Amino acid sequence: MISMKNITKSFGSNKVLKDVSITINNGEICALIGENGAGKSTLMNILGGVYQMDSGEIFIDGEKVEFTTPADSLNSGIAFIHQELNLINDLPIFENMFLGRELIGKRGRLDLEKMMEETEAIFKEMNLDLDPKTMVRDLDASYKQIVEICRAIMMDASIIIMDEPTTSLTEPEIKRVFQMMKTLKEHGVGIIFISHKLNEVMEICERYMVLRDGKLVAEGQVEDVTTDDLARFMVGYNVRTDRLTRDKKIGDEILRVENLTHSHAFRDISLSVRKGEILGLTGLLGDGRSELFQSIFGADEVLSGRIFLAGQEVKIQSTEQALELGIGYVPRNRKENGIIKDMNIIENASIVTWPLFANKGVIDQNKQLGLFENQKQKLGIKLQRITDNINTLSGGNQQKVVLAKWLPANPKILILDNPTQGVDVGAKEEIYDIILKLAEDGMAVVVLSSEAQEIIRLCDRALVMYHGEIQGEVSGSTMTEHDIMKLATGGILDAS
Amino acid sequence: MQVINADRENKFSRWFKDRKSIDSQFGTVLVLLILILLQTVVLGFDYDSFGHWFSSWTRNWINILRNNAAIGIVSLGMTFVIITGGIDLAVGSTLVATGAFIMTLIDTGPKGVLGNLGITGVPAFVLTIILAIALGYILGTVIGLLITKGRIAPFVATLGAMKIFRSVTQHFMQGYNPRVPREFLKISNLQIGNLMFMPIIYWAVIALILHYISKRTVFGRQVIAVGSNERAAQLSGVNVNRVKTRTYSLMGILVAIAAVIQVSRIGSMDFANAGSGYEMDAIAAAVVGGTSMSGGRGTIVGTVLGMLIIAVMNNLLNLFGVPPFLREAFKGLIVIFAVLLQRRERS
Repeated sequence: MISMKNITKSFGSNKVLKDVSITINNGEICALIGENGAGKSTLMNILGGVYQMDSGEIFIDGEKVEFTTPADSLNSGIAFIHQELNLINDLPIFENMFLGRELIGKRGRLDLEKMMEETEAIFKEMNLDLDPKTMVRDLDASYKQIVEICRAIMMDASIIIMDEPTTSLTEPEIKRVFQMMKTLKEHGVGIIFISHKLNEVMEICERYMVLRDGKLVAEGQVEDVTTDDLARFMVGYNVRTDRLTRDKKIGDEILRVENLTHSHAFRDISLSVRKGEILGLTGLLGDGRSELFQSIFGADEVLSGRIFLAGQEVKIQSTEQALELGIGYVPRNRKENGIIKDMNIIENASIVTWPLFANKGVIDQNKQLGLFENQKQKLGIKLQRITDNINTLSGGNQQKVVLAKWLPANPKILILDNPTQGVDVGAKEEIYDIILKLAEDGMAVVVLSSEAQEIIRLCDRALVMYHGEIQGEVSGSTMTEHDIMKLATGGILDAS
Repeated sequence: MQVINADRENKFSRWFKDRKSIDSQFGTVLVLLILILLQTVVLGFDYDSFGHWFSSWTRNWINILRNNAAIGIVSLGMTFVIITGGIDLAVGSTLVATGAFIMTLIDTGPKGVLGNLGITGVPAFVLTIILAIALGYILGTVIGLLITKGRIAPFVATLGAMKIFRSVTQHFMQGYNPRVPREFLKISNLQIGNLMFMPIIYWAVIALILHYISKRTVFGRQVIAVGSNERAAQLSGVNVNRVKTRTYSLMGILVAIAAVIQVSRIGSMDFANAGSGYEMDAIAAAVVGGTSMSGGRGTIVGTVLGMLIIAVMNNLLNLFGVPPFLREAFKGLIVIFAVLLQRRERS
């Protein structure tokens, strides 16, 4: 049995955990749920020895322990299975099982036979029909999870933390992992199951713990609650939902997508967006919305389906073509996808429009300066010199620069993927105002966001995705955080 | 009095630090100036007059620059390629292939292609140069397409091309000794006054054009964007594959020009060895000049300076009487030292 008592943790001035106490018993599957940023990962990283808590205590079977490294935690019988698995694809299973603590025989030779035997023994104990000599590369995602779990068992783990293990799994694979979890439970292992998917929580867990804003807001037996209750716990009662308003002038359809299917990220997607409309798309991590719109933007390939722009079918092969057709895309993860760190502010803000306003391939410097000054004023970008490096700007201003590079291209439809990621509250509201203004001026805007609040406040209607498919649509007054969360976790809205 | 002095010193060191942080080329220029100063001192002043000394000094410099013009031009193209995050190992072999092509075209012997068609003299030379550039363009573009459309790593694609181009050239040129017409040699050896500096002019003009392309054109800036953050560039509507392919096409054109210079300098070419090691020298010049091997950073001016540093260093080693086999080691040392220095400055 493990108990964490009165844990607090801050990053800078940001209090992430406020006096959280939890207990996990052996032989129990316990769900840890909460919205993004609620503190789940931080709490588990403290238990896994990755972060140090500011104050609080951890007890294992009544004995106080202190973890300063992940190894400490592991030695105490706590195994943390991360979303990104720690397996080497090019080694067989049994060598992966002993990674970093290989069995050495005579004269420094690897004792492969013994490693294989022990792996087989574990698999037998766990009722698994798996050949230890299989290369990890040839395993599907669920078996990779299972191999990691077995590795933890081999190291005598009594508590296993599983961080969203089902995100990238298909339905039968999820069943397989659940079977494994049940076997573990019979062996007296305690499992902390971090998940966003409330249906799964209902199916596999006995107990639940809900974190919100760094506090434990609810806990209890799963049999006493419904997914609705859990969604309400996660969101809380008193959330701000002042919807943003604008002068709505919705016109003709600009973009229509029919039965778009990708090799793995999404399937059979149909949607349409109108002039002057703000359409939201939301869902949980791995729902496929970013891949969907990157495909529409020509940055990713689709297997089948049709795309229509203003009623005309188009085949978009490259982002260059998408730009010419009047599609703009502001990506998520600004640092990886948005800014070019070796270029200055004005160049970062002009990269899209260079080809549009060039004279025989030569950049029109005056035009570039004029366009940027205009955007700078409209968007309220605060900077010292336009020739400074882009990294000298704050997150909010960087985001505005990324936005500014698209606006002079005057796209008919602008796709914004997590437009307020990593910007402070003030800048967030400013970006919302910009988006509203763009829609007022007749642009079709698509906002992809993982924040339900953002979708509700900004969008006219929203599609909620789940596992690469559109699970449902919410709009107008029926658009609530509760309904969005329910759809995003795989639920269906009542007809009423 | 002392206070004023201290103040002035502060100002100077501040100016120095400022320059160093604003202008990434400052350090490179400084190193080059020191080397030139050293070289000048070593050359000594045992002449009867300043005029005599100056003309001797100039002659030495013209020699250095002329000897490095062809490789200097290649290194400029290499800069573009490296900025996109690529590399081109095939430049030496492309040089031999285009060189052989040029010589076959203008051969005054019975097999000369243009001669047999009845085209001689200046029209033949102009046509030859145009066709050579076209061939360089085609070879470069093929490499570029292999890398972008074929998704082969630049190192591997150009390694393959390097083997193929030289081997095929050697095969077709064995036992064939084309004669290059005398007038063609004027391209590189035209005397003005009593100085021969045409290759230097070609190098300088090309460097100026490429500097302009790099700083002012859509292509030049997209090259930086692609090298710095390929994904962000793509998501900004940049056709990444086309930009990359074009850098290899440009490389091919520049190598063809270098081949024209090489052929017209000596009127012959050793197909087994000519241009070998060019790829490494070109990479070295770019790296010494501040081009980042991981892409995104690099300038034409920097590469010219890098080439000059290596050239002056070679000249110095020569003057010091360092044994020829050891000179390559010094070249290696400069490259490693330059990169270490840049890493320190960045962190």
